[in-house]
Amino acid sequence: MKMAESVKKLLKRNKPGTKANFFRKWPDEPFEEMESTLAVQEFIQQQIRIDPSNIDIILTPPDSQEEGVWKYEHLRQFCMELNGLAVELQTECLPDTCSQMTSTEQWIFLCAAHKTPKECPAIDYTRHTLDGAACLLNSNKYFPSRVNIKESSVAKLGSVCRRVYRIFSHAYYHHQNIYNKFENETYLCQRFTKFVIKYSLMAKENLIVPMPDAIMQGIRTEEDGTTSIKEP
Amino acid sequence: MRGPLTPFSLPAMNTEEGYNGGKPGQQQQQAGGGFGQKGDNGDGGGVNNKVKYTMPGVLHFIQHEWSNFELERSHWEIDRAELQARIAFLQGERKGQDNLKNDLIRRIQMLEHALRAERAKYHKLKYGTEIPQSEMQLPSASSSAQDEYSSIPEVGADSEAPLSSVSNVSWKQGRQLLREYLHEIGYTDTIIDVRSSRVRNLLGLNNNNNLSGIEQGQSDNNQINGNNYNKRFSDNQGQCSPTKRTQQQQQQQNQKKLLDVESAVMANFEFLSEMRSTSDSGDVDMDDDGVDDDDDDEDDDDDEMGMADDVIDMTSICKFGPDDVDAEAEEVVNELQLLTEDISNKENEQNDWKVSNRDVFNKNSNNANWIKNEPVEMVDGNMDLALGLGELAQLTVNNESETNADIIDMKTASRKTWNAKYTLRSHFDGVRALAFHPTESILITASEDHTMKLWNLQKTIAPKKSASLDVEPLYTFRSHTGPVFCLAISKNGEHCYSGGLDNVIKVWAMPSANIDPYDSYDKNILINNLEGHEDAVWGISVHHNRSELLSCSADGSVKLWSPTNLKTPCLSSYVSDQDEIPTSVDYVRDIEGQFVASYNSSHCVIYDIETKSPITRLECSKDPSEMATQLIHRVKCHPTLPLTITAHDDHHIRFFDNNTGKMVHSMVAHLDAVTSLAVDPNGLYLLSGSHDSSIRIWNLESKTCVQEITAHRKKLDESILDVAFHPSEAYIASAGADSLVKVFV
Ligand SMILES: [Zn+2]
Ligand SMILES: [Zn+2]
Repeated sequence: MKMAESVKKLLKRNKPGTKANFFRKWPDEPFEEMESTLAVQEFIQQQIRIDPSNIDIILTPPDSQEEGVWKYEHLRQFCMELNGLAVELQTECLPDTCSQMTSTEQWIFLCAAHKTPKECPAIDYTRHTLDGAACLLNSNKYFPSRVNIKESSVAKLGSVCRRVYRIFSHAYYHHQNIYNKFENETYLCQRFTKFVIKYSLMAKENLIVPMPDAIMQGIRTEEDGTTSIKEP
Repeated sequence: MRGPLTPFSLPAMNTEEGYNGGKPGQQQQQAGGGFGQKGDNGDGGGVNNKVKYTMPGVLHFIQHEWSNFELERSHWEIDRAELQARIAFLQGERKGQDNLKNDLIRRIQMLEHALRAERAKYHKLKYGTEIPQSEMQLPSASSSAQDEYSSIPEVGADSEAPLSSVSNVSWKQGRQLLREYLHEIGYTDTIIDVRSSRVRNLLGLNNNNNLSGIEQGQSDNNQINGNNYNKRFSDNQGQCSPTKRTQQQQQQQNQKKLLDVESAVMANFEFLSEMRSTSDSGDVDMDDDGVDDDDDDEDDDDDEMGMADDVIDMTSICKFGPDDVDAEAEEVVNELQLLTEDISNKENEQNDWKVSNRDVFNKNSNNANWIKNEPVEMVDGNMDLALGLGELAQLTVNNESETNADIIDMKTASRKTWNAKYTLRSHFDGVRALAFHPTESILITASEDHTMKLWNLQKTIAPKKSASLDVEPLYTFRSHTGPVFCLAISKNGEHCYSGGLDNVIKVWAMPSANIDPYDSYDKNILINNLEGHEDAVWGISVHHNRSELLSCSADGSVKLWSPTNLKTPCLSSYVSDQDEIPTSVDYVRDIEGQFVASYNSSHCVIYDIETKSPITRLECSKDPSEMATQLIHRVKCHPTLPLTITAHDDHHIRFFDNNTGKMVHSMVAHLDAVTSLAVDPNGLYLLSGSHDSSIRIWNLESKTCVQEITAHRKKLDESILDVAFHPSEAYIASAGADSLVKVFV
């Protein structure tokens, strides 16, 4: 067993029988030494594993990292972790209580996963949006490679961000307990907010979940914000 | 009245968009103009009518009508000229298609030739004689066959070759011809089998001997026009071992390539006929790019309720019409280019392979050169020849022509070659487990992204301009709060079970095979949570007819469950006193009431389910340092024999006799840890997956590898995490750390 553990340290593998405490417990590795073609994903996951609250570090790309792939892999990671929030919402966010996807009472969001946009209940909106995002981000047409991403495909990331953000905002305004518990563990909404600000993927006025000042720093003025959504 | 009719009748005759858009409008204008004139004069006529008919008035009216008709006639004339031009254009286009098809056929024929020549050569190498005519009649040896063959390449690019006739009948004839031809040269099932085993033997020899030495005895005169094609082909065979491989592995690979080329050639013929049938349905341009971004700005800012969300963006991926034929034809050309490129890559280090049959190749030399000069498209470097051909071969889908059946029959059973058909892309992280439905073409996958997904392999979407078929998941199972490690489907197909890092085993109702992927959430799909394990659940096995479930966990126990029992689902727990943690578990299939668990001590234990007592220990080594490297990733029992098969970290697969506990066979099966095993429902073949990124198919009787496929990329140091055989249909699948699942047919 000891021998097996030393082998495990050399190779980043989770062998069957690995205890939960040892799962993905590898020594950190600098990005330059990650050899696989999926190194960006490995690197992002490593940074999150080290400290999920250290958002700045997580969002700092390695030198010379091409930005399109960086944004794409981060968004994959967000959608993946949002599954966790969806699982929690499934227990509490019922069609009876949340018959529409809302956050503040200002807007009702229509679900874009259907041929014609549909007023899905919040839980369906959540699931459909995550499923649709999984389809788009894995689409052979738009993202055939995870190493090289076309500029036109990078432009699609913004619309995915806007939609999945509504899951955060619904959870925050309607299921505060779930949101707080999830956020305390993952810092996911804070990371997401910082991410979309940093890469100008969403307009400021759409970021309606209150955030610590540190997260909102560096945000542009309103004029800049509105222009920024037209950029991608 | 004729004027207004034309805008309607013309588009009906011709649906070409440019025409539709421009011409009718023009027509309408002209008709309108004519009508205007008519109106003016009609008024005048009407005034006159009230008084009386005057001769000049009538004459004027008739003259005017005549000029109107003349005008219309000239319009008709113009239209006719335009239509004729259009027809000429379409005819030209058709001719172009025919030429393209002829070219493809030529290439296919060259592939066939290369293949035959290779075989002849192997034969010669082995027996030192030409292949007897009774066994393999090469075209030069059989005058009728040669005529049939050579007539096709000699057809000029512009003339109509017999095969290019549009009618289905001549296609069948062509196929019939090909079939006869194949039979004539000895492609009967038995001979093919005999030959493939010979080739295997030969390749074993060839890999050690320097081929050029043997070959140099042969004449040189065919070397110039190269059969450069043939040389490349043979070089390519050497190419498939990038690193050191055992001789056995190499010969198996070579064998596989031969079969691949062969099946690809078949597939092409089927594809061509399919292309013919689809070309009738016409082009449908599904341009959905560009629309989706336009509404990005509007939806959030403007609308209060019901923002027209970017529907297209999400759904466009799901909406696909019939492919346009050009794109598909282009694909084939690209595939062939890929093939030739792959082959030519190794030209530098080539041996001087020569062909025993010069005549045919001299005839084809032009074609061979032509291939060589073709601009070569760079394709993903990872793609190896086998995969490229696999995608070619997949084009056989849906072809129901009856002549096909024969061709397919020819490659069944012992020489079944698996080809990549679908890549299932939807998981965000490594796929840890997969399971097929017992009877339907349904696959469920479990991933480290905390979800499982259900796929219906018969609900495929053919995206335009891509050779690979897209399958999208029909359902996403969300309830696990951590990575999912293991998965099983009950034998009646009604339930599926999953376990993972969150210690819980979930019991799910199987969603309908035709469920709408964007249906509303039904929480009843989660039937039960089996709680009791205190650490990650790493393995699940279902009983072959009872509704019973075994699981193994990092908490050190194996547990037996009654999955639908809501109150006390856990029936028993099994702990080994000599071993620590179970890594995998499986029911013993040939005897009731037993199961086998593998432990991280590298031993397996067979238990009696009722008495909970160990029956047999399966030990491969007593040496502690060896044991440490022999961790068992997966244990599987043979469906009918008292045989247990284990996949080890030290690259081995080992076989144990359940009755004696003795190891009956041990083999180095991969270049890295063997992670997964599956036995086909008949117990004849074994499928293994490894972190060396390849899956291998083994003949269980001879313990030899019959096919190797490089299937996945690495993430971290992991590659392939699970493999599976469909219990009743011809599918195999592999799950990768690269978030992908591949399905082979
Ligand atoms: Zn809700
Ligand atoms: Zn919806």
